[in-house]
Amino acid sequence: MKELKLSVNNLKISFRTDDGTVQAVRGINFDLYKGETLALVGESGSGKSVTNRAIMGILAANAIKESGEIIYDGQDLMKLEEEDFHKLRGDKIAMIFQDPMSSLNPIMRVGKQMTEATLIKGKVSQKQSKEIFNKTLALLNKRMDEARGNEQENKAYCKMFDDFEYKHLELEYSYNKAREALENAIGDIKDVLFRIEKRAFDNVRRDLAEILKETAHTIERYVVYARADELKGLLAELKTLSRITLVEKAGGAARFLLNKKQKKDNAQVAEWDQITKKLEQVLDILNEADGYVKPNFFAMGYYAKFAKEPLPQMEIEELNKFLRNYLDEKFMLYFISIAKEGVLYSNKLSIEAKKQAIQLIDEKLPFFDGDSPPKTSTTELCKELISAVEKCIDKLDVIKDNVLYTFSSSLKTSVNRYFEAIIHNVQEEKRFERQTAKYNSLVKRGKTPDYTVAEKDLVDLKVAKQDIVNCILRVKQKMQKDIENNDSIDFDAKVVSLIDFFKEKASAVVFKVTKAIAKNRALKLLEEVGIPEPRKRFRQYPFEFSGGMRQRIVIAIALSANPDILICDEPTTALDVTIQSQILELINKVKRERNLTVIFITHDLGVVANMADRVAVMYAGKIVEIGTAEDVFYNPKHPYTWALLSSMPDLDTKEKLEAIPGTPPNMIYPPKGDAFAERNKYALKIDFEEEPPMFKVSDTHYAATWLLHPSAPKVDPPKQVLDRITKMKKMQEEMLNG
Amino acid sequence: MDKFENAETLVKVENLCQFFKMGTAELKAVNNVSFDIKRGEVFGLVGESGCGKTTTGRTIIKLYDATSGNVYFKGQRIVAGVRSYKENIKAKQAWLKAELNKLNKDDPDYESKRGQLTAEAKEYIDEQKRQIKLAKHDHKCCDKDYVNNLIAQINEKYQPLIDSADEQNKQEVIKKRDLEIKNAKKQRLITQIQMIFQDPIASLDPRMTVRDIIAEGLVIHGEKNKKVIDEKVYKMLDLVGLLPEHANRYPHEFSGGQRQRIGIARALILNPDFIIADEPISALDVSIQAQVINLLNELRETLGLTILFIAHDLSVVKYFSDRIGVMYFGNMVELASSEELFKHPLHPYTKSLLSAIPLPDPYYEKHRQRIVYNALSEHDYSVDKPSMREIAPGHFIYCNDQEEEKYKKELQE
Repeated sequence: MKELKLSVNNLKISFRTDDGTVQAVRGINFDLYKGETLALVGESGSGKSVTNRAIMGILAANAIKESGEIIYDGQDLMKLEEEDFHKLRGDKIAMIFQDPMSSLNPIMRVGKQMTEATLIKGKVSQKQSKEIFNKTLALLNKRMDEARGNEQENKAYCKMFDDFEYKHLELEYSYNKAREALENAIGDIKDVLFRIEKRAFDNVRRDLAEILKETAHTIERYVVYARADELKGLLAELKTLSRITLVEKAGGAARFLLNKKQKKDNAQVAEWDQITKKLEQVLDILNEADGYVKPNFFAMGYYAKFAKEPLPQMEIEELNKFLRNYLDEKFMLYFISIAKEGVLYSNKLSIEAKKQAIQLIDEKLPFFDGDSPPKTSTTELCKELISAVEKCIDKLDVIKDNVLYTFSSSLKTSVNRYFEAIIHNVQEEKRFERQTAKYNSLVKRGKTPDYTVAEKDLVDLKVAKQDIVNCILRVKQKMQKDIENNDSIDFDAKVVSLIDFFKEKASAVVFKVTKAIAKNRALKLLEEVGIPEPRKRFRQYPFEFSGGMRQRIVIAIALSANPDILICDEPTTALDVTIQSQILELINKVKRERNLTVIFITHDLGVVANMADRVAVMYAGKIVEIGTAEDVFYNPKHPYTWALLSSMPDLDTKEKLEAIPGTPPNMIYPPKGDAFAERNKYALKIDFEEEPPMFKVSDTHYAATWLLHPSAPKVDPPKQVLDRITKMKKMQEEMLNG
Repeated sequence: MDKFENAETLVKVENLCQFFKMGTAELKAVNNVSFDIKRGEVFGLVGESGCGKTTTGRTIIKLYDATSGNVYFKGQRIVAGVRSYKENIKAKQAWLKAELNKLNKDDPDYESKRGQLTAEAKEYIDEQKRQIKLAKHDHKCCDKDYVNNLIAQINEKYQPLIDSADEQNKQEVIKKRDLEIKNAKKQRLITQIQMIFQDPIASLDPRMTVRDIIAEGLVIHGEKNKKVIDEKVYKMLDLVGLLPEHANRYPHEFSGGQRQRIGIARALILNPDFIIADEPISALDVSIQAQVINLLNELRETLGLTILFIAHDLSVVKYFSDRIGVMYFGNMVELASSEELFKHPLHPYTKSLLSAIPLPDPYYEKHRQRIVYNALSEHDYSVDKPSMREIAPGHFIYCNDQEEEKYKKELQE
């Protein structure tokens, strides 16, 4: 099953302005699954960017969060404090902005901007991870005690696990350092080769000398393998070669003064060729070393900590096997078996708690059937429910359950809203009475007042109460489902994932992010996003980059903290086609490699077709059509989607373009009914009166237009769209047939 | 070729070069670009950002002084650079020096040969110097020349009439002629070229009302009658689909599409024959883009405009243009009618550009293979120098002999 990453429910956001309240987002819902790209399409002002700013928690100060929730990782982002948001922003959710010029700091070197986030986040996550690690391990220990007794053994095993977990990370840390040094050397040599190839000789000799020194150092310190001697020989040769050139350079300088044209004579070029050849050989060897299998440090850590013997001399693969067996025999299998007992017990506890909670809910639910539940008893009841539900949460489960985790906050909100509504309604009644009395007295005195009394603005208490009930029912359903599915859970996999979780947290504790590491990471990222000569570029200012390069830097910064969700807010609108397609390819590549979840905002349908797995078409703060890319492009249902599709020319368009008449509505006074009705030539009468609900076209495809109502007249999409679709189908067949 | 084959050539760009100084080095923004634009035609100029398409447009309208090359508008040279002549002179001087060195001083004919060579060189150099003078004059005084030409034409037209008319009519005819000459003196050639700028927000002065913005050109050209100005402004507003009451508002009160319409109205008020549209739609929203393209298309039909359309959105260029020139790093690499260019792209850069166009078709997009263009590995111009060559009627490519054959073969297949 797909893992749900983010869900947006009934999000409503408006902005206070001098002219009135602009309703920017008017109730949108969507879910986002791991590894998919959701494209939001629409004109400017349709609320695409506002939605994403809300997800990032960077709404402007005049924004009013009216309602709705954005659930990510068991938290409701709408209610998150700024302090807590710091932990998410950039780290878990990153954003690529539209204009690469204004999203980079012009007076900071690119390198500093790239490492900034990594360094700050490193410190924060270190502390957090340690806390989580210790807490979870303690809980596991406790559960194990409760499940199987034998407390001493449990404690000893947990302690052992803790110890060698850290030992292995220390080992891995030094290994990683060696790897980094190796990669550094490779990168440096590639850099020099690039410069020699481009005949950009400035400072190459000096750099080369430095690199040779460093590489030799690296090899001596870290890398031990068969071809070390060969490599050393090569390096020595290179050293002499580069020394010759250095000596020559002194002579050359004199000659240079005499005759400018002899600067790059052939002999020198030949010499460079020789150096290039040698360097390539070195690079080959280093690459080979880079390709070596990584030792199993997890097992090695155990061996190093408890075996008290030196490591046997073997090939790495054999060694890995040996270590693994050793670990499994001596510790792991048993530890897993006892941990499993703990996990099973914890699961059992949570299931029992769930059963109790369901019983409690069933008991207490009739309480809301009454007309007006008193406030004190309701709050008490809520407290009871919340504590019951909180007991159900299986804390040893690595995957956080959104519904259970957010139950407390959403229940509190809906209850609060209900009681606020009661007070509001009473006040509203009073106001109405007062004003009507005044109005009537004026009329009685024979005057004709030049105003009318405003209508009562009452909140429907039934709906508000139903919200509370729904909130409880939702959690009940979820729990029932959990109980049903409990038999099919693979507990072995669960234990393994728990151990992985420990590993991950521990590694975050041990791996201190130093400046050098951050720099290395940044350089690697620069290479990943396709910037040549990253070492040189690292020290440049943003204005020294072209538009496409600048956008790559922004992407690299967004990726530097290894986010979960990447939001791209029109990243290619300011770029031209070739660069655009490079950037899109880059985002797609990175997405595939890291299994990122992407929200992509754009108004270019071609780009959408390229990027999106699913498409949501937005208009006037609402999603009017949502479906997979195939659904929306091959079977569009909403007139606005038709209009968008037919308003842009493609390579075969000859006839007049079908422009969308008029402009988007003023969202201070959103139109009654369907917001698009004014500009829609297929508008029905009902479109001007009532807002259409989401009609289901297929399991993945929904559209909000009355045209899909069973009793609506049948309307075909405009001819251009139909033509285009048939053409696309034809092209598809051609491509399939070769 | 197409319907514009027999039309008059309105703009002729000849070996246009525009270099910018960057410290000691030179940036060759536009390098030896030549093309014609026929009357009534839309000529599209595409290429990635930084390839010199905007610079070409700006050099044509004389926002920059061209480094070398010529631009003719209605047969009159309006832009002329002098670099090429100066280089010719230098080359000739070097040639002379080399030739003189070759001569044997003991040769009895030495003196005469030397004199011959020197004279030959001097003649050539004098010719070049004359050209420089001419170019400088043309570049500076094209409007004056144009007016003088017009006056001469009018005189020529009326001379037989005056000669043949009797005493009574003579005065009337002369009066008529003088009136026409008076009008002709107000004419300016360069105002018949106008430009629409890319960014509708940055190109409108926020402190001027729409009326002032649109009428500015008229006022500068000496129109003082407020009634006439108002009338013309209203007419322009109507033409671009805005309302007369919009005239008193400020630019910030308009949406992006409306602002671009104001920019178009400003360009049209001086009744130009030729419009340079520099990415007029790339800053606009999708639905507004279609409105502006439709408007430009209508105007082109009703006013008979000739347009140089600079853009990087290839589907729009294809839709809007009759002929397209593809630029790459200051060079024009391919020039053909839009149908031909998209059907048979030959230059590898054009192919790469076409392969990068995103289409609203998920299946196609997910299987699209972008062709990567690398100028260095693609061409070998070390021996055989490339130039613009006609491969098929109306289809020009920047290539050398070897490539020309390759392209011809490709086209036949």
